[in-house]
Formats: sequence, C-alpha cells, structure tokens
Amino acid sequence: MSALPEMLAAWVPLVWLAPALPLAAALFVAVRALRGAAGDAAEPATAAVSRGAALGALLLLFVLGVGAAAAGAPGQVALGEWFAAPDVAVPFSFMLDTPALGVGLLVAFVGWATIGFSVNYLHREPGFHRFFVGMNLFLGGMLLIVLAGNAVLAFVGWELCGFASWLLIGFADERPQATGNALFAFLANRIGDAGFLLAIGLAYWWLGSVEWPELAGGSVSETVKARMLALGLVVAALAKSAQLPFTPWIGRALEGPTPSSAVFYGSLMVHAGVFLLIRIDPLVQQVPDMAAAVALAGAASALYGWLCGRTASDVKTALAFATVTQAGLMVLACGLGWTTLAAWHLALHALWRGYQFLLSPSYLQLAPRPAPPPAWLAGRALLYTAALQRFWLESLARVLLLRPTLSLGRDVRALDERVIERLVGAPGDGDGPVDAGLAGRALARLAEAMQRFETRLVLQGGGGGALHLLRRAGEALKALEALLEQPRYLMLMVMATFVVIL
Amino acid sequence: MADFPILGLLLALPFAGAAGCLLLARKDGARGLALAVAAATLLAALAAVALFDPARGDFQLVEKRLWVPGIGVHYHVGVDGLSLFFLPATALLFAAAMLAGARAPRPAPGLYYGLLLALEGATLGVFCALDTLLFFVFWELTLLPLYFLIGLWGLDAAGRAAAVRYFLIMLAGGVPLLFALLLVGAHGGGFDLPALLAADPAALPYGVQLAALLLFLVGFGVKVPFVPLHTWLPSLALGAPATVTALLVGLKLGAYGLLRLALPLSPLAVRDLHWLLAGLGTVAILYGAVAALAQSNLRGVLAYGGVSHAGLAVLGLASFSVAGAQGAVLLMLTLTLATGGGFLLLGGLQRRLGTCDLAALSGLRQRLPRLAGCFLLFGLAGIGLPGTIGFPAEFLIIVAALPEHAGAALAALFGMVVGAAAFLAPYRAAFFGPLRAGPAAEADDLTQRELAAALVFAALIVGFGLWPAGLLETIRPAAEAWAARLS
Repeated sequence: MSALPEMLAAWVPLVWLAPALPLAAALFVAVRALRGAAGDAAEPATAAVSRGAALGALLLLFVLGVGAAAAGAPGQVALGEWFAAPDVAVPFSFMLDTPALGVGLLVAFVGWATIGFSVNYLHREPGFHRFFVGMNLFLGGMLLIVLAGNAVLAFVGWELCGFASWLLIGFADERPQATGNALFAFLANRIGDAGFLLAIGLAYWWLGSVEWPELAGGSVSETVKARMLALGLVVAALAKSAQLPFTPWIGRALEGPTPSSAVFYGSLMVHAGVFLLIRIDPLVQQVPDMAAAVALAGAASALYGWLCGRTASDVKTALAFATVTQAGLMVLACGLGWTTLAAWHLALHALWRGYQFLLSPSYLQLAPRPAPPPAWLAGRALLYTAALQRFWLESLARVLLLRPTLSLGRDVRALDERVIERLVGAPGDGDGPVDAGLAGRALARLAEAMQRFETRLVLQGGGGGALHLLRRAGEALKALEALLEQPRYLMLMVMATFVVIL
Repeated sequence: MADFPILGLLLALPFAGAAGCLLLARKDGARGLALAVAAATLLAALAAVALFDPARGDFQLVEKRLWVPGIGVHYHVGVDGLSLFFLPATALLFAAAMLAGARAPRPAPGLYYGLLLALEGATLGVFCALDTLLFFVFWELTLLPLYFLIGLWGLDAAGRAAAVRYFLIMLAGGVPLLFALLLVGAHGGGFDLPALLAADPAALPYGVQLAALLLFLVGFGVKVPFVPLHTWLPSLALGAPATVTALLVGLKLGAYGLLRLALPLSPLAVRDLHWLLAGLGTVAILYGAVAALAQSNLRGVLAYGGVSHAGLAVLGLASFSVAGAQGAVLLMLTLTLATGGGFLLLGGLQRRLGTCDLAALSGLRQRLPRLAGCFLLFGLAGIGLPGTIGFPAEFLIIVAALPEHAGAALAALFGMVVGAAAFLAPYRAAFFGPLRAGPAAEADDLTQRELAAALVFAALIVGFGLWPAGLLETIRPAAEAWAARLS
C-alpha cells in the first residue's frame, strides 16, 4: 500500500507539463494557422490537439492531487533555473500546496470542458484556429499562475492570459468596437502588470528572491518595504479581478465568443487576482493598512457590481457584474484574512458562473425579457443614472489618463516637427543641403560674414590687381562651393579625410 | 582550427562580394551572387559562434596585424560575449533583407546589392574591431553605402533629402567620436582596445575621461539616437527603402558603441555621470513611446518604438551591473529580430499597397493573415510579452535599473504601458476593422519565400524567449568583466 504514494510522488517533477501542454498546443495551432489551415477538414486536428492537451493537464493534476491527498501536498518543487543573471535568478519552480492543486484541478477541468464545448460552438467560424490559439494560451497561462512557485513564472502566466484576452475580445476583428474594447481591456490589465513587475523588481532588490515562500512568507521585516511590495501585487490583483478602480474593463470585455467569455470573465481569469491575494496573504496581513485597503476595495467593488448589475439589460453584462460582486466579496474576505473562505468561494463560484455563462445564449429563450430594475432603484433617478453610467468611471479614466496621454503624444509630435526639426534642419528646407537648421544657418551666417569682411577689405584696399585676382579666386571658390554642395563631392571629401587619417 | 582566421574570413566575404556585384553592375546575376555571399557570411558568423568558448570572458578569435606603423594602428579584430551574437544577428538580417527586398531594384541592381554587402562588411567590422581607430574606420564606412542606398533608392524626394541630412548629421557625429578616440589614445597609450580595457580605471586622468565621455555621448548619441538628436530616424523611416530602414533601426550600433567604448573607456567619469546616462535613456523611452502614439504611419510607429527601445537598452547599461548589461545586449538582439523583421514586413506591405499610411489601411488581417500574424509576433516581442525574447531582455533591464535608478525604472514601467498602446493601437487601425476596396482587397499574402524568412525570425524570437539562458550564459562572463570595470 505504501508503494502508491511513492509512485504518485514520482509524478511530481512532471508538473511543468501541466502548463506546457496547452502552451505547446497553442504553438502548434498558431503554426498551422500561419501555414494556411482552413475549412472543415482542418478543424479536427486543431480540436483534437487542444482537447488532448487540456485533458493531459487535467489527468496529470488529478494524479498529483490524489498523491497529495494520500501523502500530503509536496509544497515547493524546484526543477532548475529558467534563466539567470547575478542577483537575478529566475528559478523554474512550482508551488504544489493545497490551494494550488485544488484551484489547478478546477482550472484544468473548466478549461477542458469549455474547449470541448467550443469545438462545436465555433464549428465553421472563420477564426476557428485563432480562437483555439487564444484558448490554449489562456489555459496554459492560467495553470502557470496557479502552479508557479515564484512570482516571475506567475507573471509570465499573468501576461499570457492578458494577451489571450486581447486576442479573444477582439475575435470579431472586422468590428472596430470589438477591437477597441480588446485594446481597452488589455491596457487596463497592463497597468496591473506594471505593478506586478514593480513588485518583482523590489523583491529582487530587497529579498534577493522571488520564490513565493520567501516573498509572501513575511521575510521582509520593515513595514515600509512590505507595504511597497504588497502594493504592486495588490494593484495587479485588483486589475485582473476587475475590482475598483479597474472595474470598467470587464464591462467591455464580453465581445468575444461566449465560451471565451465564460472562462475569462466568468469562471477563471477574473479569479486570478483573488488567487494571487490568497498566495500573498501573509505579506498583506503584515501591513494592516494594506489589508484594510484590500478589504475596502473588495467591499466597494461588491457594492458597485451589485448596483450596476441591477441596471444591466443584457445577460452577459448582468453576469459580468454579478461576477464582479462575488469577486469583490472574495477580495473582502482576503483583506480580512479569511483565505480559506475565499478559496472555497472561488471554487464554487467559478464552477457555477462558468456554467451560467455557457448557458447564456439560451437565456434569450429561457428569459425573453430582462428583469426590470428593482423599484427602490428605479425611484431614485440620480442613483439609477449613476448605476446605468457605471458611476462614470470610464469617462473619468478617459479624461484623466487616456486624453492627456494622447494629447501628449500629439504635442511631442508637434515638438518634433516644429522645433527640433527646425533646429536640426528638416530635409528639403533651404536651398542647399546645409542651409537649414540651426547649425546650417549658423554656417551660412558665418560664410556671409566672412564674405562681407573679404569684400570690405578688398574695397578698402582699392588695389586693382589684387581686386581682380581676389575676384577670380572668389569665382573659383564659388564654383568650388557649388561643387561641394553636390553630394558626390562631399563624398570625395570624406574619402580624402579617410586617406589623411589612414 | 583554433588559429583559422574566421573573423577575417567573415569580414572579407561581404567586401569581396560587394566588389563582385559592382563588377557585375549591368548584369542580372547580382542578386544570386549577393544572396550566396550573404548566406556564406551567415555560415561564417555561425562558425564563429561555434568556435567561441562561452566560459571565457576575454576576447577570442583574435587576429592582429600591424596596419599603419607610423601611428600604431592595427588590424585587430576579436569578439567577446558582449559582441559575439551581433555577428550572426547582423548576417541574418542582411540575408533576410536581400531575400525580402525587391528582386532587381532599378536603376542598378548590381550597385544596390554591392552597397548592401559593403554595408554588411562595415557593420560586422564595427562589431568585431578591437583597435579603436579601426572601429572608427568601420563606423564611418557604414555611412557611404547608406547614403547611396537611401539617396538612389529612396521612396521620394523627401526620402532622398533625408539621406543628405542623415549623412551630414552622422558625419558631424563622427568628429567628436574621433576626438574622443584620439584623446583616449593619446593619454591611454595607444589604440589597442584590450590593453586600454585592462589598464587601471584611474590610469586615464579624470579630466580626460570626462571630456572623452561627453564627446562619446554626442558621437554615439546621434546614432542611438538620444532625444533631441533623433529626428533623422523617423524621416528616414518614412523616406528610405524599408530594407535599409530595417538595417538602420534593427542594428543598434549606437548603443553598442556606448557599451563597447564609451563606458569602459571612461569608467570614473561615467560613474559620476550615471544620472546623465540614465536620464538620457529615460527621456528616450518616454519620448519614443509617447511620440509613437501620435504617428499616422506604421513606419513612423516602428521608428519611434525603436527610439524608445534604444533608450531602454541605455538604461540597462546605466545600471553598470551584469544583469543590466546582459539585458541590454539581449534587448539589442531582440530589436534586430523584432524591429528589423517588422520593417522587412512593412517593406512587403509597401510593395503590395504602395503605402503604410494608417489612414489608407484597414482590415488587412482578413486579406493578409500571415503578414498580420508575423507582424503581431514581432511587435509583441518589442513590448516584451513573455514567451518572446523581448521578455527576459526588458525584465532584466528593469530589475537591474530599479536599485540604481528607481525613478527611471518606474518611468520604464510607465513606458511599458504606453509602449503596448503605441504598438497595439496602430496595429488595430491597420489590420483590424472592415476591409476596404482598393489595392488592399486584391493584395496577396506573404509568398512562401517571405513566409520562410519571417518564420526563421519568429522561431528565434520564440525559441530564445523560452530558452534565454542559451544566450545569457554566453554573454555573462564578458558582462562580468565589463561590470567589474565600472564598479
């Protein structure tokens, strides 16, 4: 009987295959798509590889889960090094504790089920292969976030999920609105990514390590440093889980095909932030004000999602705001330190909401009319308008962030064209190649001044012969100048310079 | 085998090929000859990588002959981990540029290919010169072919005017560079780079170091380019043939000059002026990213993106750490693949549609899915998506910069957000949306040959993105020696 746990333990070093299989499938499908796979005949291979990869990850995690149940979770597993510089080692390590294995199993299951669903749902869609590139990338990235043993690998998964999300929100890329929303969601997430990367950099600086046990385990003694570290990760978590102030992106993220909406914004990706908060719980709890901020953000988001959800008039938006509400409650729990509650909530919510999202096209028949907003909300015009406008968060972001950046871009371009180009000399200005720009004009002034000096000298001298000679010399110089202005003679001069140097 | 002059062969091949193409000037064989020479050069560069011992941090494959006895100038070449990979990257980019460019560019195909090969030889020379004056000769030698390539094959009159301006600006930049090299040579005892690098950092008087550093910063700064010396780049990107732009933006000679000469030759001065270097880098990062947002042409977008990335590489160098140097070298290689490859694809787009103006482009993904897919991957490498080679590069630079220049690193993180927008927004405008009637609706996707070249770039981007250690470990010993000199 004791042989079984040992046998199962031998599988632990293979854990890297769980994220690697879907990623390899993504690469395979992407190469096929690039080489022009299309039509009915090309679909089964893509579908089989995607399904197989997801199933492989699921079975592997199942085996690991059974092993953990029989002999305890293996914990931190170091499999080597991904890449390294002095003081900046990126380990290839995985964290196989109870939350990771549990959520990992959940992710692999939902991913596998949804991929199976999508094979039929997307049959004969022109972007069939493109869709599966995105789904496989997402599944691999999500498993990487959950199973990673250090912050850098988790960040890799984090970014891959963000990119897959961009790819699938903009799936119907002939519609400008879809691709605009994709860009919006990607950029909102990218702000969180910057926070994540900042935390990683600080961890290297202050701790010399990014392994979760050291990073999250409260090994930073000073509160100031712990606060900075936690801040970066909390911003990343709030952005990914669509918590305030990042919530608006999720309202625009539902343009993709329904199965992708289900796993991204209903079931899995939106919970990645909550999972990260569970991971770094000791770090957050070390800084009470940060924990309070997390709880506050969660509570506010829950309220916000609930209010906005009351006014939603289509099923996907209603579901998305319901998700924000539930994720807000989980974040609230994380802020209060109740991570076990948050983890259970996460698992149950992920399953239920994923199912609801997959069902959502059928709601058109199940519920022919959306429920009217509740009477108490309908009666308060101001609150109703605010909820309908989602509290103008998006307009605020546009006014405060987007517009200034864009107009800065225009200013910079104008600066280039009107100031710097003029100083350096824009091509085509002036008559000759050198009569443009500050340097060119300075040279021209100098030449003029010298010429004036020369003429005056000659005139004052009054010597006929000298004047004559000088005039002829001047003409020769003029001719020479004209020649020199031509590029080929310029070149010759450079050659001559070379000869002198050499 | 160890004594075989592989670098000599590497340098001789393109110059010999250039001579051959010029002699063939009026015949049609130039393209075949040039491609064969480019392929042979690539093989020679790969052979140099194979012969290189990755465990050592010193210069290897060294060849040295006296050249000008009077002033002690040598033909002295060799590579270390910092410069090694630029050889195959350069050779690959040139081979791809010839393969992807127009088949027989009028008016003189022989001249065109001859100039390209001469440019390749000069560029390779810059990367392996170990005599500072030899470096300068190769540096200036890159200008001549570029001038003619842009002047004769520019897209329009503005492009040809841009060639004149580029030439004059670079020539002006060469003067401070030469002064700096002469200054260091006169006070440091010669032009032998390994000897200069082995000398005590304090051997050169501080004043000389300071003067040399400032001169270097101007001389290399126009090439990097630093803001506000950068305006030649976008105007060239808009006016020059895409092949040439790919070479200009893809090969980071300016940043290489800072890495190889400017910083190690003035170690004490640069330690005091680290803020200047980091500041110049940061300004370039932000300026390039923000300006790219406001571009109305895909070529302009890539050009300003190049300014931003070059700034990031300089920020990595300014940390004076091993990780920063490794990251900077990796980023320069990334740009050779990603920006260089991106410009080659835009060249294909320009040939098909006659424009890269965003106002004229829409929905190209539907008609040109392969081009769109490859261009997306190259752009993602530029914004440092994990899984591409850009990620380890930008990651190492930001992590290395944070303890040294926390503010600059924060700015780089901001640049990361804006940079993503600056690539994806124009990408959306050109490749997504409805497909309009016009040349775009009848354009053909990448040919098998173009696709093969693009897939080589893509494979390298993803391959080294997953396994960056393959490059980083070879760069490391030389980067350690480099950082030791600066700290």
